[in-house]
Amino acid sequence: MTPDRTYFSAAWAVAWRYLHNLYTKPAVFVPGLIFPLFFLAAFAGGLSAVGDTPRFDYYNFTAFQFCFILIQASALAGVFVGFSIAGDFEQGMGRRMMLATSRRSSILLGYALGAALRLIVVWVIITGVSLLAGMEVRATGYDLAGMYTLGLLSNVVALLFSAGIAFRFRSLQAGPLMQMPVFIALFLAPVYVPQELLTGWIEPVARLNPVTALLNGARSLMAGDPTGILLAYGVAFGLIALLALWALRGLRRAEVAG
Amino acid sequence: MNEESNGIEVEGLVRQFKNGPRAVDGISLTVEPGEIYGFLGPNGAGKSTTVHMLTTLLPPTAGSARVAGLDVATRGAEVRKVIGAALQEAALDPNLTGREHMKLQTALHGLPKEERVRRGDELIERVGLSDASDRRVGGYSGGMKRRLDLALALVHRPRVLFLDEPTTGLDPQSRASLWEEVTRLSTRDGVTVFLTTQYLEEADQLANRVGIIDAGKIAAEGTPAALKAEIGRPSVEVLPVDPARRKEAEDILLRFGSAVPAAGEALSVRLNEGIEELAAIVRSFDSAGIELASLGLNEPTLDDVFLAKTGRHLEGAGEAESAEMPLPASDPDEQAGPA
Ligand SMILES: Nc1ncnc2c1ncn2[C@@H]1O[C@H](COP(=O)(O)OP(=O)(O)OP(=O)(O)O)[C@@H](O)[C@H]1O
Ligand SMILES: [Mg+2]
Repeated sequence: MTPDRTYFSAAWAVAWRYLHNLYTKPAVFVPGLIFPLFFLAAFAGGLSAVGDTPRFDYYNFTAFQFCFILIQASALAGVFVGFSIAGDFEQGMGRRMMLATSRRSSILLGYALGAALRLIVVWVIITGVSLLAGMEVRATGYDLAGMYTLGLLSNVVALLFSAGIAFRFRSLQAGPLMQMPVFIALFLAPVYVPQELLTGWIEPVARLNPVTALLNGARSLMAGDPTGILLAYGVAFGLIALLALWALRGLRRAEVAG
Repeated sequence: MNEESNGIEVEGLVRQFKNGPRAVDGISLTVEPGEIYGFLGPNGAGKSTTVHMLTTLLPPTAGSARVAGLDVATRGAEVRKVIGAALQEAALDPNLTGREHMKLQTALHGLPKEERVRRGDELIERVGLSDASDRRVGGYSGGMKRRLDLALALVHRPRVLFLDEPTTGLDPQSRASLWEEVTRLSTRDGVTVFLTTQYLEEADQLANRVGIIDAGKIAAEGTPAALKAEIGRPSVEVLPVDPARRKEAEDILLRFGSAVPAAGEALSVRLNEGIEELAAIVRSFDSAGIELASLGLNEPTLDDVFLAKTGRHLEGAGEAESAEMPLPASDPDEQAGPA
C-alpha cells in the first residue's frame, strides 16, 4: 500500500495538535529550551576562559559551544516529543488516533513533522542568543545548511529513540528512560574542549560516541572548514534507520496492547 | 457475507490477557446490517474488551471477527475506514475546543479540506453543542463530552458504529436524546450499531436484539421480547393485610403457579398460564375472605432473563469493585464500635 492523501492528512492532523498544544501550554515548550540556554549562559560567562587555554585552537569559543547547544537542543526537542506521545497514550488520545487512522505509521510521521516545526523556533532562539553573546560565524550558506541539517538529524534520532520507549510504556513514568540515555550520550562527547584535548577514560568513550561525529561535523561546518562530514551524516542516517525500526516496532507493540 | 454488507460476524472470539483474566471467553454472535445490537452485562463482563477487538484496538487471542465483511485481525486498516467508535472513556484533549476536536478528527480521517468545517459544524449542531463549540473541552460536563465523542465518531459517515456504554452518567433527558439519535442513525442512515450497556431499559427499549454477556461468555441472545418470553410468564405478587393468613394466601397462590422470591412479606408466584389467570386469583382471595394490602403483576424483565441464565441479578453482579463495596450499615468498623 502506498501512502495516500488520507495518510498525509492524518500526519498533518497529529502535527497540528502537537504544535497547538505547545502553543497553548508553554509549560510543555519551555523546559526543552531551558537546558540549552542555561549552557549558553554558562559558557558565555565564566567558562569562556576555557577558550583561552593555549591548545584550544577553535577560532571562537561561543561558536564552538553553539554547535554543542544546537545538537543538544535539537536532541532534547526530540525527547520531548517522546514525552508527548507517552502522555497522549496515557490519557487516551493515543487510542483516538489509533482508531481514526487507517495506516498508523502516519501517527509517528505526524509527531516527527510537529517536532521539526517546533525545532525551527528553538533554532531561532538559540541562534539569536548566541549571536548576541558574540558568536562569530565563518560558515558559508551551504555550510550553515549542512550544520542545521545535522541538528535536524539529531532531533530525528532522539525522537525515534524516545518514541520507541513511549510506544512501549505508554506512560509518562518512562520519561527518565527517554531522557537519561540522550543526556549521557550528549555529555560523553567533547563538550567543552576539542576531541584532541580529551584525556583519560573519556577519550576512548568520546571517540566511539556517535554524538562526537555529529558534533565535530557541526563544528567544522561552523568554521567554514568542513571535515568528517560524511562520517557525521553516515552515523546520523545509520542511527535513524536503526531507530526507525525500533520506533515502528514500538508502535506495533502499542497496537496490540489495546 | 460480502464486503458491501454492514454487519458483524463473530466466531469463538477469545481474549486472554497476559497475567490476567480470560476477559472474553469464546463468544459468537451475528449483527445484521442496520440493526441496533445491545450488548448487556455487568461490570467486568468483557463488554469493552469485545469492543476493543471489534474495533481493531486489541488483537483477539483466538477466534475470528468480521466487521462489514472485513476480518479485524488481517484487514484492520480497511475496517477502521468504515467503523466509528465512542469508547467508554471518551478520549478528548482538554486543551482543544469542541470545534478543534472536529478539525482534528476530520483531518485524521482524511476528509477533503473543503468538507471538514461543514461536516464538523453539522455534527456539533446535531448533538446540540453549537453554543459550547468554541470552549475548551476541559470545561465540558460529562454529558457534553459524551455527545462530542459521539459526534466525533460520526465524522466519516461510518457504516458500523460502536458505542461503549454511551449513556452511563447521563441525565434522563440527555439519555433520551442519545437514544433518539442512535435510533435515527439505524433507521434512517442504515448504520449498524453495536452498543454496550449495563442498563436493562436501554437494552430493552433501544436494541433490536440483545446479547447478554457474563464472565466473558454469551449467556443469552435474542430480541428483548423473545428473551423475556423464553423465560416466561408473568408473576403475581400479593401482600395479605393480616400476616396470620399468610399461609392460606400462599396455598391459594400456589394453585396458579410456582413460588418465586419476593420482597419483604409479600408472596409471589410465576403464573402457570398467563395474565388471563389474574381474575381467577382475585376471585379466589375474595371467596376465601382474605383481604389484600397490595396485588401486583410483574412482566418478566431482562433482569429476570439474566437471573434465569446466570443465577444472579444483573444489578450488583459485577466484579469485586462494585459487588464488594461496603454499604454504610454493614461497615465492619461501625459494627465493632463501642457497645
Ligand atoms: N488491559 C487489561 N489487562 C488485564 N486485564 C484486563 C485488561 N482490560 C480488561 N481487563 C479485565 O478483563 C475483564 C473484562 O473487562 P472489560 O473492561 O471488558 O469489562 P466490561 O464489561 O467492559 O466492564 P465495565 O462495565 O466495568 O466497563 C475484567 O476482569 C478486567 O479487569
Ligand atoms: Mg467496559
